[in-house]
Amino acid sequence: MAVVAEWRSAAGDDNVIAPRRRRVRSVASRIGGGLAILIPILVLSSFIVYALGALSNSNPAATILGQDAATPAAVAKMDKALGLDKPLLVQYWDWLTQAAQGHLGTSWFTGIPVSQSIAQRLPVDLSIAVLAVILAILIGGTAGTVAAVRRGGWFDRGVTLVCSAVSTLPAFVVGIILVVAFAVAWHLLPANGYVGPTGGILPWLQHIILPALALSLQVAADIARQLRTSLVSVLEQNYIVGARVRGLPYRRILVRHALRNASGPALTILGNDFPLMLAGAVAAEAVFSLPGLGQLLLESAQTRDIPVVQGVLLVVSTFVIVVNLLVNTVLNVLYRSGDGVAA
Amino acid sequence: MTGNPPPDEVLGIEDLHVTVHDGAATAVRGVTLSVRTGEIVGLVGESGSGKTLTCRAALGVLPPGCDIRHGRIAFGHQDVTDLSRRGWERLHGTGMGAVFQDPTSYLNPNLTVGGQLAEVLRVKQKLRRHQAHRKAIGLFTAVGLHNPGHVFHQIPSELSGGMLQRVMIAIAISCDPRLLIADEATTALDVTIQAEVIELLRELRDQRGLAVLFVSHDLAVIRELCDRVVVFYAGEVVETGPVEQIIERPRHPYTQALLRVASVGDFQRRQLEVIPGQPPRVGEETTGCRFAERCPAAVPKCLAGPVDLSTLAPGHHARCIRATDPELALITAGQSAAGQSAAAAEMAAR
Amino acid sequence: MSRRDRRHRRHLTRPGSILRLPSARIAVGVLAVVIFLAIFGSALAPQNPLTINANDLFQGPSLHHLLGTDYLGRDVLSRLMAGTRLSVFTAFEAVAIGFVLGGPLGIATVFLGKWFDFAANRVADALMTLPSIFFAVAVTAALGNGLVQAMFPVGILLSPTFFRVTRAATLEYARAQYVEAAELLGASKLHVIRVHVVRKVLPNLAVLTAQATAGALLAVSFLTFLGIGVQPPAPTWGGILSSDLDYLNLSPWAPFIPGLLIAITVGALNALADAFRDRTGPGTLVVADPVVKTHSTLALEAADDRQPAA
Repeated sequence: MAVVAEWRSAAGDDNVIAPRRRRVRSVASRIGGGLAILIPILVLSSFIVYALGALSNSNPAATILGQDAATPAAVAKMDKALGLDKPLLVQYWDWLTQAAQGHLGTSWFTGIPVSQSIAQRLPVDLSIAVLAVILAILIGGTAGTVAAVRRGGWFDRGVTLVCSAVSTLPAFVVGIILVVAFAVAWHLLPANGYVGPTGGILPWLQHIILPALALSLQVAADIARQLRTSLVSVLEQNYIVGARVRGLPYRRILVRHALRNASGPALTILGNDFPLMLAGAVAAEAVFSLPGLGQLLLESAQTRDIPVVQGVLLVVSTFVIVVNLLVNTVLNVLYRSGDGVAA
Repeated sequence: MTGNPPPDEVLGIEDLHVTVHDGAATAVRGVTLSVRTGEIVGLVGESGSGKTLTCRAALGVLPPGCDIRHGRIAFGHQDVTDLSRRGWERLHGTGMGAVFQDPTSYLNPNLTVGGQLAEVLRVKQKLRRHQAHRKAIGLFTAVGLHNPGHVFHQIPSELSGGMLQRVMIAIAISCDPRLLIADEATTALDVTIQAEVIELLRELRDQRGLAVLFVSHDLAVIRELCDRVVVFYAGEVVETGPVEQIIERPRHPYTQALLRVASVGDFQRRQLEVIPGQPPRVGEETTGCRFAERCPAAVPKCLAGPVDLSTLAPGHHARCIRATDPELALITAGQSAAGQSAAAAEMAAR
Repeated sequence: MSRRDRRHRRHLTRPGSILRLPSARIAVGVLAVVIFLAIFGSALAPQNPLTINANDLFQGPSLHHLLGTDYLGRDVLSRLMAGTRLSVFTAFEAVAIGFVLGGPLGIATVFLGKWFDFAANRVADALMTLPSIFFAVAVTAALGNGLVQAMFPVGILLSPTFFRVTRAATLEYARAQYVEAAELLGASKLHVIRVHVVRKVLPNLAVLTAQATAGALLAVSFLTFLGIGVQPPAPTWGGILSSDLDYLNLSPWAPFIPGLLIAITVGALNALADAFRDRTGPGTLVVADPVVKTHSTLALEAADDRQPAA
């Protein structure tokens, strides 16, 4: 291959720093920025969480001791044991530092460490949430892609219609419908209860598929709608034509170029919807009688078992905030052109 | 051009008709042209004259709503008029490549330029990753990119227009196609870069026998680079011939006007000139010559019926009934007032 | 813009003009019925929602009981009508909290300096991600098992979206007029800003309010479904749904009735939001509903994603 004589180009030599390093730096700074916000946000929300408890005016000492034994002296002694005699900020700080090490206190009523209760219940919600996310991506992604590729066709219109309908249905209504259909009417899947994976993979899946499906449908509808719009817009772009005239196979163009660039807003929706999925998980727990964090929260709220309430809230808020950070990071990695989503 | 194409013909377009807006209007009307190995053919004309659509048809990437209604496109011996998607996938890259006007928009903004080139090499030539990388660097060097290893890892937004156009050329020729279609490839570049890219194309033609279909509205560039010129007006070919003849001795009033406006060749002028009037709207049907309305040399006979291409010399054709008239150039230059007013009087009488 | 265009445009911005869309007309109709029921529901119910009738358990629809009876023989229709008030009013409560908390703050933040704006934005971001149901439940632990208290956090977590909308509108104005945000002098300027910003913000606010109400309504239904704020035997939509679930075997179709009611109301609110949105044109900032899911679109895709029939 002959080497063409060297000519000076108009620009491009000004970038002295290697391009890869520069981009990594920009992504890193964005993650760093995210982290820097993360800490104060976490502190703020944990404080709110803690303050909620403090607002409660409940007198756990009296409740624990029982009516007769609740003499002022006994109550004062119990208060001290529970750490309730210290000023609020000190209590908060103690609690926070302990939480950072994984100790979330002890239930006032059952004596079980909060972290233990949470650890017991977390896998239930996690398995449902993860399966729901996978289902949402699969269903929503496929529907949105096919709708965009066959734009204007019957599938496209059908998907739009279904999405609008599903949007209005809250997860718990969907869950109920699913229970009625699959469990009561057709006896295909169990209506309630939970079996961990240790009890067998198949029973575990059988128990979580309905709640996961109920949870995933709304998110799937949103993803499908958004993906369709983004993909239609991306497929009209010049670089798709550019990829075609290079002779790249259509499927490859669709996945590696079009979908990759179009999935940003859809992923953002997933990230935004994730806290809603958590809320939906609480619904699913109620409908399907699953022993998860939501039920734990409900029970402890009813009994005013404040440490448990605080612990669950802290775990959930942290989880949500961290997931959002992760989603933002992934988006940063996928879309390096610097101005966010390229459509 | 019926029958067997000459052995070295790379692209043959015959009587092409392309409709737009789902058949509502005909934007390309009976265009015939060919490109041979090692030949650089220039397509020149205003926007909307049909030159871009012709290229898109030849590439198989007509925009949605546009269809080939009539005619035949042949790539070498292969009829590609109704080629399937798979057929085009095989042809693209290895048979023909393309570069367009705005290279930034034709590259994926989120991937490195080197990665996009390497992708083509891996997919089309089944190279391994490191082989593709090495070949990509070689290609970048061949197109004159400074510091190709560095450029490999940049994304399009980090490169200048000139560099990106070189990248596009590198990608287009990476699988050794026989034909390169360049649609306004130098239009968006500044003059010095333009010169470099033109030189690059010439080198590619010299070294590889690459045939180039070069679309531009810039006559100066066409003159620099092309061997033959095809002049488009309102969806038709109005003149075609070797570049020296077209530039020095154009025979169609439109070509003459273009050259005058562009101040190229013998038609240098001292003051700014325009061609009065507007070309017919895309798809607008006319009887007779489509330039007649604006033509200073028009006579009533021009509007009578469709005008065919007349052969003026081997390889030189013009779509004008007065093409052989020696007074034509003077009339269009406005130097023969008599001829002009006579023509105008006749027109007014209709 | 020609005079005729200007007149046409003004015509479009009058509030009555939403009713041109058939979907909007249906939506407004449905909502009018719901609000009417909320105010007069208990009075108009054909039967006493609390009357237990042990002989008529799980009856299907009949002349006497238009929607049948529940597990205690109570008339379902009456219960639903009576329950409308609590659901609707507490939903409004949450939206009002969000509006009052977020709206003015959004306007103010443009004028209170960069650091305040930055901090407010980050707080808003964080608040938007938090799941309000959890906090609603937690609040009942602190403040007692009441729906009014439970909707506080729902309202608070709605305020960031109001904040965003009013802030965006204010920014647009401030930038357009090159008003140095910090140098706000004179009551007359304040007045002008109040008038212009309000006008710019109203369409987006309308969309947001409709969506937020939908979300809040779902939240109420959900909370009552979970048992929060429900003092049996007082009827609520979610509470009816929940008890229906317990007797699914005996009456599998029962939960569809309250479910449908919730869905129709929420759908009407969404349709109304869409109608508002259509008239405000592309580029409108529409943000994700932070409560239980209703309808989510992102400001990133400004183009309307409803395609006209090809």
